[in-house]
Amino acid sequence: MPEIQERGSTHVYKVNRISKEEMESMVARCVYEEPPFCNAACPLKLDTRAFLKAAAGGDFKKALQLYEKATPFPLILSMGCEAPCETACRLCERGDGIAVRAVEAAAARYGQASRLGSVFRTKKKKTVAVLGSGLFPLFLAGELEKKAYPTTVFCEQDDLEAFLHCETEFLDEEAFALELKRLKGKDIQFVFGCDPDEAFFARQREAFDVLCASETVAKKLFPSEEADPALMILASEKLVTGCGSGVMAAAFGAKKAALTVDRLAQNLDPRNMRGSEGAVESRLYTDLSEASALRRVPSEQGGYTPEQAAQEAARCIQCHCEECMKSCAYLKHYKKYPGLLSKEIYNNTQIIMGDHQLNKPMNACTLCGQCTAVCPNGFDMAHVCAVARRNMVSTDKMPLAPHEFALMDMLFSNGDAFLSRPQPGFETCRYVFFPGCQASAIAPETVKAAYLDLCSRLDGGVALMLGCCGAICDWAGRCEMQESTREFLLTELSRLGDPVIIAGCPSCRKELAESVGGEVVGIWDILERIGLPEGTKRINRPAALHDSCGARGDAHTQQAIRNLASRLGVRIVETKYSGDRSPCCGYGGLTAYANPEVAGEITRKALERTDAPYITYCMACRDRFAREGRESRHILELIYGTDAGAPPDISEKRYNRLNLKRELLREFWQEETAEMKLDYELTFTDEARSLMDSRMILTDDVIAVLNDYREHGEAVLDSETGLLIARRRLGNATFWVKFTEDQEQGYTVHGAYSHRMNVVRREG
Amino acid sequence: MAIERNYYTIDPEGKLECMKCHVPLIKGKAKFMYLDNGFPVELPVCPVCGFVYVPEELALGKVASVERALEDK
Repeated sequence: MPEIQERGSTHVYKVNRISKEEMESMVARCVYEEPPFCNAACPLKLDTRAFLKAAAGGDFKKALQLYEKATPFPLILSMGCEAPCETACRLCERGDGIAVRAVEAAAARYGQASRLGSVFRTKKKKTVAVLGSGLFPLFLAGELEKKAYPTTVFCEQDDLEAFLHCETEFLDEEAFALELKRLKGKDIQFVFGCDPDEAFFARQREAFDVLCASETVAKKLFPSEEADPALMILASEKLVTGCGSGVMAAAFGAKKAALTVDRLAQNLDPRNMRGSEGAVESRLYTDLSEASALRRVPSEQGGYTPEQAAQEAARCIQCHCEECMKSCAYLKHYKKYPGLLSKEIYNNTQIIMGDHQLNKPMNACTLCGQCTAVCPNGFDMAHVCAVARRNMVSTDKMPLAPHEFALMDMLFSNGDAFLSRPQPGFETCRYVFFPGCQASAIAPETVKAAYLDLCSRLDGGVALMLGCCGAICDWAGRCEMQESTREFLLTELSRLGDPVIIAGCPSCRKELAESVGGEVVGIWDILERIGLPEGTKRINRPAALHDSCGARGDAHTQQAIRNLASRLGVRIVETKYSGDRSPCCGYGGLTAYANPEVAGEITRKALERTDAPYITYCMACRDRFAREGRESRHILELIYGTDAGAPPDISEKRYNRLNLKRELLREFWQEETAEMKLDYELTFTDEARSLMDSRMILTDDVIAVLNDYREHGEAVLDSETGLLIARRRLGNATFWVKFTEDQEQGYTVHGAYSHRMNVVRREG
Repeated sequence: MAIERNYYTIDPEGKLECMKCHVPLIKGKAKFMYLDNGFPVELPVCPVCGFVYVPEELALGKVASVERALEDK
């Protein structure tokens, strides 16, 4: 049996850099982190989505706390702001956008003010003076108080009430009283009855570290100066000031001005390190198809009651782009959106020393491409994982363990189980039937029937090639094996006269078209052309068509299969995830070998689509579904009236391939091959069979251990269980077999296990 | 002289017998090796032929978890 070399050491200190630009451009396709449209439209960056979620749950305390992050005076803002969030709401496209302002006002009324402005907070050392009155000085003083600057407001009014009245005439009596109370609770000093002139300004310049002024005061003091609207500053005088009119301009201006104060107080250039300010464009995708409550909750005079506000907030559909996560069990398992997961997988490939914690997720993706089909921007997780796998293999950092069984299975398919013969009577052929390794392993009778049919109805000869197309090593990221497989297949095809390949499996068709090239068609194309074989029984019942990932983006194949199913009389059940959006069955990408747990979740998710039985056109899908107890048949089984029956275990899959080869050689080419017979009896308990299947231990492995025992007599007797335990190192693993020995009945295997570590006797 | 560390110790307590040499296995020195890393252990070994026994619980437990940790290095 051939072996695959295990990587030599964990001490490999090299990485193969993936272009960061390429990865970043891929990551940027994922819009999960994009802000919702309401939030993007708000210059104050209110987290509207989280705010509405809290309000919908009746948690007005939390809602208000979120709102206070955006503004120190929630009622003034909610009653005076132009509400760009409401017009940006995606629900406007289907009905009424959320009445965000009304919910904000309700939160400001019913919520509990945060204690952030507490007088007990440690104050900053630098002091700030705000000259003038109106909305801008009010908001600015509030923002500075939030930042813990000792702030003094110098205004012309005689008391706090008069100061608050300035430019807030839109507030009703109740709102005014509430905001006055809020203002009084803030740690802001006021000096009333001031009339700032140049001398006053010069005095405050000496007394305070940073000076700010309302637009009116700034114009009065420096009539020829224009404020910079981005920094809110009269540059020549280093005077922070407001500009523009309206509540939003004042609130947003105050935010920008407070940041400028921050920079000036630290003697830093106010133009730098400002982050993102103001409204932004969002690329978020929102699925509106399930939006139902499209009309606004009518409000009472004086605003929403708490119940009404919660009801209105609950209409928010909480815009998130989770199209891929809704459909892919792999992404769901790791609870990470593809942008983030890709970044982490990218970083995983770049680790020089230390743990590669993302190996498991990287090897758990089925590489099926469903995410690309459902993502509004075509995010390609399969590409990310495939590139990462190849990258890790190329630097000798990829563990062999997750993929070794599958790779060995591939070597078996293209070794002991491989068969390539022209049709009897032909030296070269016009066609070659390539059913694929899974078809031979799972449904050998179907392969035989299909080959017989093709030989009898196609002119020019139909050769047969039983083997693996190379998808296994492609999925494992083993480029060198892929290349040697390609060369091997090319040589064999050349011997057959470079025939047109008739693939029995869409993944083989895709892989062969990409690797060996030439003309590659599906058996479905041929059957569509030549018609169903005589005697095909009609199936007059409904069934769901499970589209293979190998046929994603291949409308021609998807349609050909539907046409064949219709001719069979099947009433096809289409689901939301049919065609290009079809999920993987769990076999693709070697997930079933590398991560059986995730593979199981993927299979069950695929089966959730409908309760109807499934028709597949890839034998691995048929096998995965049947393994989960669901009625599933390959379309060729229906066409040829064969039944592959219960899913075979891993050893039966190998036996089926060998036996098919032997039978075909005998029946078609009159060649006898000896079947390996044991010269002793060997039986397995049910438990042993089940353990061997889940632990990926083959009957052949057990036989190799027993043969070794018979030759050398090395074993241990466990007096507690009465079982003998023998072992043998095979390739990269040591296999242990627990058995009993009987003169007449031979050996009964009770269990088997393996480990990859090698164990040796140590002297001393 | 430095005391050699053993990562794992199993004493067969006379419950295991070597079928080849017909003697009980004893606690003996052994070493697990994987991907260029070595771990000294004490396992049931045959004092005559040196057969080292790795019980199922150890293979599927500690050994498997160390294998996984090393594979991801």
